[in-house]
Amino acid sequence: MNAMVDNAMDERRKRARRTAWIAGCVALGIFVLSIVQMLKL
Amino acid sequence: MAHDATHDHHDHHGAPQGFFQRWVMSTNHKDIGTLYLVFALLMFFIGGAFAMVIRAELFKPGMQLVQPYFFNEMTTMHALVMIFGAIMPSFVGLANWMIPLMVGAPDMALPRMNNLSFWIMPFAFTLLLSTLFMPGGGPAGGWTMYPPLSLQGESIAYVVFAVHLMGISSIMGAINIIATILNMRAPGMDLLKMPVFVWSWLITAFLLIAVMPVLAGAVTMLLTDKYFHTNFFNAAGGGDPVLYQHIFWFFGHPEVYIMILPAFGIISEIIPTFARKPIFGYKAMVFAIASIAFLSFIVWAHHMFAVGLPMGAEIFFMYATMLIAVPTGVKVFNWVSTMWGGSMTFETPMLFSIAFVILFTIGGFSGLMLALAPADFQYHDTYFVVAHFHYVLVTGAAFSIMAAAYYWLPKWSGNMYSETWGKIHFWSSVISVNVLFFPQHFLGLAGMPRRIPDYNVAFANFNMISSIGGFWFGASQLIFLGVIVHCVYFSKKKAADRSWEGAKGLEWTVPSPAPHHTFDVPPVIHDDELAHGHTDH
Repeated sequence: MNAMVDNAMDERRKRARRTAWIAGCVALGIFVLSIVQMLKL
Repeated sequence: MAHDATHDHHDHHGAPQGFFQRWVMSTNHKDIGTLYLVFALLMFFIGGAFAMVIRAELFKPGMQLVQPYFFNEMTTMHALVMIFGAIMPSFVGLANWMIPLMVGAPDMALPRMNNLSFWIMPFAFTLLLSTLFMPGGGPAGGWTMYPPLSLQGESIAYVVFAVHLMGISSIMGAINIIATILNMRAPGMDLLKMPVFVWSWLITAFLLIAVMPVLAGAVTMLLTDKYFHTNFFNAAGGGDPVLYQHIFWFFGHPEVYIMILPAFGIISEIIPTFARKPIFGYKAMVFAIASIAFLSFIVWAHHMFAVGLPMGAEIFFMYATMLIAVPTGVKVFNWVSTMWGGSMTFETPMLFSIAFVILFTIGGFSGLMLALAPADFQYHDTYFVVAHFHYVLVTGAAFSIMAAAYYWLPKWSGNMYSETWGKIHFWSSVISVNVLFFPQHFLGLAGMPRRIPDYNVAFANFNMISSIGGFWFGASQLIFLGVIVHCVYFSKKKAADRSWEGAKGLEWTVPSPAPHHTFDVPPVIHDDELAHGHTDH
């Protein structure tokens, strides 16, 4: 029972890390874009 | 419902014993929540002290106590400290404490990042506040940091770095909240079964991720304009100072909602508890929050009506802004409808919540007045604006935080606070805050500009009344501090697990005080125990 709970929790933590990476990349992208679009390249 | 699971499994191991291990190295959501809340309270008093300087100087016409530059430093720092140091961290603290408990998660999804998110903040604010002691002084160009004014000071690099740190902290906090809500909910806790507070924070976290990087970009460009000879905002070099205002307010307006959406969530938890009825229109509440969040991205230029926008832009931003009144009206209607016919009692959290509904609505109405572009040309940069946003942020955001503190203190500390002193704090605050801010509407309508240390004698009486209200409100908050300290350390009255008769939701199924570890085994969700009560959503 405990092993099942632990596995499910590990799986959820893994998905959470993936969500965090996506959100972090979005934030970084917005930061870069907010400056780059002003450069008039 | 979740009792068995939590009672059997909590406290396999308790909190770490050493102070350093417990508080500096903590990865526990409750401890980090406490750290955020204590930090925010400290910043609330520091920012409040700055406000006292402002009100003391404005007590009567003429220069009384401080030099004009120092006055400008006070207005700037008051805003920065209150927004980024008090309001935002206290909401993050509440999120840290309550979201895992409300969704049945054992902790935040990324506990170590949670620790980092918090511990960046003291460094950011030490950096920011240290500028007050530097030669040349701190920032004095307003919290909006408009160039070219803000670039004249020498402290801009420190301020920009502090803002970067705060931004990084906020973004990490937001990422953690999104990852927790989307992935760590107990089985059966569907999205539309989550408490409104959790929903409000999920939407707020998306807003944070979308707009904090924009602020970081804007202030980075300020920095390069100042020190690396770029001309983003320098008209002489082909740049445009108004561009900064657009970028800033693209961040700034959603920021306003970042400071109020979690408040909506809190009020939506408290009113059903003390009305002993499920929240009226749960889905409508969630969609209203989402609508407000969406609209916040398309209204930024209402802060810039007087800058000289094309007529089409003025009209678009005017109507888009007025549109926000619709979902906000839905929320106010639903809070009132929740109370309608309920078995209401008026404990301190409920009193603050009712005051929130009434006074925030007054702030909303003055916001509607400001949304009218032709009228805004008259109101712009006057004390009417100051009155408006203080009704929204003090009687709105700050009151909701106080309501939340009284509501969840029994769960956090295991003790009941003094209801008598809580009510004294409430009545003292609610009367004084109106003495403080209501006369500022009249001052603004009469033409008194904001951010000035001296003024025409015609404005003397209302300024004196406002200052008296300010000192009174400031002193009232010492009662709040006293109630918290008494509750945590000295109260003899123990809190029940379900501290309030009408309280529903997972957080009330764990013991009071909440054990160091909760929901190691996911709780079983019973729909009739959920905060909003219905199962047919």
